[in-house]
Amino acid sequence: MIIMPDALVIETHQLTKRFGQYAAVEALDLNVRAHQITGFLGRNGAGKSTTIKMLLNMTRPTSGTGTLLGMRIDDPKENREARRSVAYVGEDKQLYAYMTVEELIRFTRSFYSEWRHEVAQRLLTAYQLPPKRKVRALSKGMRTKLALLLALSRKPELLILDEPSEGLDPVAIEELLQTLVGAASEGTTIFFSSHQITEVERIADRVCILDHGTVVEDFSLDELQRDYRRVTLGFASNPPVDEFRMPGVRRVRRAERQLSVLVSGNAEAVAARGRSINAVSVDVVPISLREVFLESVQSGS
Amino acid sequence: MVMLLYKAWRESRTRFLLSAVALAIICASFVFFHGDASGGIGDEPLSYAVYIWRITYKGYLRELFMILTILLGVGGLAREREHRTVGFTLALPVSRWRLLATRTLVGLAEVVLLAALPAIVLPFLSPLIGQAYPPSQAWAFAILWATVGSLIFGMGLLASVLFAGEFTAPVAALFGLVGYTLFADVQPLERYLIDIHDVMSGIDMPYFTEATGMITGRLPLITLLAVLLATAALVGIGARITNRQDF
Repeated sequence: MIIMPDALVIETHQLTKRFGQYAAVEALDLNVRAHQITGFLGRNGAGKSTTIKMLLNMTRPTSGTGTLLGMRIDDPKENREARRSVAYVGEDKQLYAYMTVEELIRFTRSFYSEWRHEVAQRLLTAYQLPPKRKVRALSKGMRTKLALLLALSRKPELLILDEPSEGLDPVAIEELLQTLVGAASEGTTIFFSSHQITEVERIADRVCILDHGTVVEDFSLDELQRDYRRVTLGFASNPPVDEFRMPGVRRVRRAERQLSVLVSGNAEAVAARGRSINAVSVDVVPISLREVFLESVQSGS
Repeated sequence: MVMLLYKAWRESRTRFLLSAVALAIICASFVFFHGDASGGIGDEPLSYAVYIWRITYKGYLRELFMILTILLGVGGLAREREHRTVGFTLALPVSRWRLLATRTLVGLAEVVLLAALPAIVLPFLSPLIGQAYPPSQAWAFAILWATVGSLIFGMGLLASVLFAGEFTAPVAALFGLVGYTLFADVQPLERYLIDIHDVMSGIDMPYFTEATGMITGRLPLITLLAVLLATAALVGIGARITNRQDF
């Protein structure tokens, strides 16, 4: 499968999953482009895992549509075809405990025609995985490495990871992140969920922030640095919030006589508007991913 | 496909091997304790064939076989959800139907082997105590057991699709089996439901003579076919439910 640069490898439209009255994912519009590392950021319970499960046909959407590598996620046959080119590393990294490392490699290899034996051997050596050892006897860090070996050896177009660093020590996290960057440099699109802002900030090209099952922010880290700003405005009397309903304004918070405006562009126009309505102080500063994340999920809760 | 069969085998082999060892040991002990346990009613001693039938094909071994067969049926994706490997399995480019089909194939093969064990052990060991048990009888019972065993396996499989808990599924299947047995004995239903215990033992069946403990007529092919169709129905229902389940 050849994927054009900038093609959408994941695309959902109004994707929804309800469990009774509870909406785990609500009208999700998600676009993930090829040949990028996309971080899927959200608090615990935001709907990240449910979204991934719907993408892989493990869970059926209540409504809405979606495609994975151009194939419909709710069509079992199409989804199965897509899964030939998709690798998935789950949150638990639980693998068949009763198999040895080499048995599990042999088992997984049988499903993928493009299996790269030399990559498996290289990673087996690099990760120092004992081939004869049962999976149940591996630490979580080693299981993660084995899961990555199984994922990368099949030459996936898309690698989906659900909370990949969960439960790993700092050294293992570092190795994991380096592996993901290496895979991306070889042309694999990476989509990983996380609630660890620092690791997303370190390796992601693009970030989607999910809150209460909905994408609340979607930007590249370049856009974050270039366009996202916090404009803080001080007023002598009650600040007029409605004056700031204008292009580029993401959120406006009022704290007594001060307004904090999060913008994704157009910061100078917002500052000018503040001055035009007699703001006594105007301050425009760059904003970090952490601030955008906290602002996004706190305003939603 | 081969690796899926291998996976299904690896997941069930401990249960199967323990079951096989248990059945073989019990069969062997029934043979070797023949002298101690072969007393008949009144003064008349039981023939060896009647003794074997009473203690094996009508007795405890039949009940044990049924329970072991239920245990072979449980497992699958619901169990994998408990063990948290279901994500890895479902991410493979394989349909759920194929996952269930391979598990069913391996499970049914194991049921057939378990059913065949008495047919191997009894004729083989009987000469060691100076007795003989006809292999044709043993294999006829093996066919009956294998067929009914497939139905019980289907019950276990369906229960494991419906109930996720490690112990819930076999208990539910056991309740289902007991419930079916009770219903099959109720007067108005008796005509329509096949009493699978009786089919396995031959009790009150035209193909079996209780006085000799021998199968003397043709095996009930229509009944066995009906049992196999019921098994296919249970597996089919299990597959339909599995295809619609969220994991």
